[in-house]
Amino acid sequence: MGLLRPVFSRVVALVPVVLGITVLVFALNAVALGDPARVAMGQRADAAALERLRREYALDRSLPVQYAAWLGRLARGDLGESFREQRPVGEVIVERLPATARLALAATLISIVLGVGIGAVAAVRAGSALDHLLMGVAVLGISTPVFWLGLMLQLVVAVRLGWLPVSGYGDGTLTHLILPAFALGALHTGTVARMTRSSLLEVVRQDFMATARAKGLSEWAVLGKHALRNAAVPVVTVVGIGLADLLVGAPLTETVFAWPGVGRLLVAAVGQRDVPVVMGAVLVFALVYVLGNLLVDLAYLVIDPRIRDAARA
Amino acid sequence: MTRAALAAALLVVLVASALSGAAVAAKPGGTLRMVFMADPPTLDPAHATDLTSSAVIRQVFDALLELDEKLVPAPALAERWMVSADHRAYTFHLRRGAKFHNGREVRAADVKYSFERAARGKRPWVFEKLVGAREFIQGGAPEIAGVRVVDDATVELRLERPFAPFLHLIAYDAASIVPREEADRRGAGFASHPVGTGAFRFGSWRRDDQVVLERFPEHFRGPANLERVVFRVIPAEATRFNEYAAGQLDVSDIPTGRCRALQADPKLKADVAIWPTLGTSALRFNVERAPFTDARVRRAIAHAIDPAIIVNRVLEGCVAPAQGIVPPVLAGWTATAKRLPLDRERARSLLAEAGFPGGRGLGPLAYHFNTGDLNQRIAEALQAQLKEVGVALELRRLDWAAHIKVVDDGSAGFFRQGWIADYPDPENFLTVLFHSRNVGPPGNTSRYRNPAVDRLFDEADTMAPGAQRVKRYQEAEQVILDDAAWVSLYHYASRALIKPHVKGLERSPQSTAPEFLAPLRKVWLER
Repeated sequence: MGLLRPVFSRVVALVPVVLGITVLVFALNAVALGDPARVAMGQRADAAALERLRREYALDRSLPVQYAAWLGRLARGDLGESFREQRPVGEVIVERLPATARLALAATLISIVLGVGIGAVAAVRAGSALDHLLMGVAVLGISTPVFWLGLMLQLVVAVRLGWLPVSGYGDGTLTHLILPAFALGALHTGTVARMTRSSLLEVVRQDFMATARAKGLSEWAVLGKHALRNAAVPVVTVVGIGLADLLVGAPLTETVFAWPGVGRLLVAAVGQRDVPVVMGAVLVFALVYVLGNLLVDLAYLVIDPRIRDAARA
Repeated sequence: MTRAALAAALLVVLVASALSGAAVAAKPGGTLRMVFMADPPTLDPAHATDLTSSAVIRQVFDALLELDEKLVPAPALAERWMVSADHRAYTFHLRRGAKFHNGREVRAADVKYSFERAARGKRPWVFEKLVGAREFIQGGAPEIAGVRVVDDATVELRLERPFAPFLHLIAYDAASIVPREEADRRGAGFASHPVGTGAFRFGSWRRDDQVVLERFPEHFRGPANLERVVFRVIPAEATRFNEYAAGQLDVSDIPTGRCRALQADPKLKADVAIWPTLGTSALRFNVERAPFTDARVRRAIAHAIDPAIIVNRVLEGCVAPAQGIVPPVLAGWTATAKRLPLDRERARSLLAEAGFPGGRGLGPLAYHFNTGDLNQRIAEALQAQLKEVGVALELRRLDWAAHIKVVDDGSAGFFRQGWIADYPDPENFLTVLFHSRNVGPPGNTSRYRNPAVDRLFDEADTMAPGAQRVKRYQEAEQVILDDAAWVSLYHYASRALIKPHVKGLERSPQSTAPEFLAPLRKVWLER
């Protein structure tokens, strides 16, 4: 019960953040050159038809009125209608959300499993050639552009070896997910590995680690039972921050792998000046980001009793 | 007959069979895997304005007419038609027994409903020549008076005044025939669940992933060869190529900058298909914006540009440099126009005459173009060419939405703009792009106003097809090029990769890879 209040106050604090983001995105759309109605008309636009379309899209109203109308609809759970697809934005986003969620979750899982594994091995073998090699790989992962890595994976694994499909969603099968998830996950694996290594090296110097070893536990048992849990807080922080990397990387990864997600939708919507979709997609990304960070904060409470006690106090 | 004579006769038959395409029987069945660069925004013919949407719509729907391989109007849902002596009334007799995908037979009332529905869509210009269409489009009339249902199988269309390419408009996908009950019942949802009469019916559509069409066995021409067509949606050029190389696509486009390499590639050179299409890439001036109000400045720039360098170095020689505005591949057209030739001395003297000797006083000129590697490289080539006559170009790269905005509102003085024909007629290039009534978004973004040219267009647009009509357009085209309101660079070509087992894929000048607007009912797979 004691934890509910801090959680509630954090959730309430998120509302102005998300609203602020929507104001910013709306303002950016307003100052960007381009007329959604004109884009929709193709290469040859009839003046009367253009005017009619502008009225249909409510673009003939002032900007504050347009934003207020959007906000009003949002309060009723309605994100408006896509200019381009002429369907409710909610429907447009919801049908793409599962693909992005699958990709982001798989990429996160890959970055945690590989990152923590590589970091732990590097920490245990600190200073060795293996440590240098693994940290070199980690830096390579951080600095490799996701689109380049994606295309290389396609060329080698899909075209040359024929092991996996090049791109697309398939029927939602795992084989289609592996390459894009790996390309996106690699972006963050290096960061997680480096943080795991440095946190573990910090923890292994603590007195309680000597006590654990004195009890006769093996080095891997000491690492697994005592060190990793104590090193987890900064690693969880990095995983949380990594959500931002995933959100930045999703549009690129989805484009390279023809993955039908919200990131690609956002890129196309910006190009078409489909403002309702841009607003809706950004809102989803903002919510994912702030809720992801909230989850990270909650994870601290689970992992570290000191933080839990401080929150209760 | 002796044995030798019999053998000789057999040999003749065999050789004739081998040489004749008809001897190779089309094999039914199979799935054709094609690709789009972007998701179609809609599958509703009333709302489509892009090639991707049209590529699907042309398979799912039929119009009264269609264009044959030579782009001549041919029967489709209408089996025959008659034109009145004054070329203002067209009577179409519908084919008996043609059915929509829901099983209902097509009636003349469907034609009236479809035209009126589409006239209030995104391509109203397709119908505006009909009597009463303008009033209807603007909401001032309950129907288009010029569309009359004579009986269940006959419809009459009346025009305000004769319009030579009218049959092309009737064959255009905006004029597709839709079933009223389905369009009304589904409302906006018709765009995602289209019902037509086409050789393929709608199967499924996962947005941003793929559109699947299934063979419609009751098509009035008989079932198509292919069982299914899958259009994958793959935005990244490199990924499309990888999919093709991995054997997952039957047709794709040639990536930018890979045309020559693929023509020399021992594995892929047999798959390379390049053919001219109805489009021209050009540079345009806003003639109402200084310094381009002065024809000498425009002519100087035209004289300083060598399209051959751009074609050979940037486009790898895979397209043809342009002399005129109308592509020579247009049926019935004889290309006579000559662009202002490369002549740097003449360019310098024109600049001096205009008060800008050596380009001094002209300042850097802003050149607007839309985002794309190819456009960037062309812009850089132009920058280098104009520098040689003392003109500095400042490159302004914007995405399409922003580019079209500055072009339409006249704030861009010098800009890139191509044109792809909506239908194969010189009117669609010349009148649309240069008549003074079309200034701005309807097509004349040069804001060019020349009463003599307008007069030529007004005469030619209403004349019967033939040499006299072509002559008027040719005359107008040369005047526009001499006035340097438009500088032609090159005519578009479709550059595709097509697997050898794909047979019967029409490569008409209106069929632009990778979308292919040609009917896929003729395609079959040899494997």
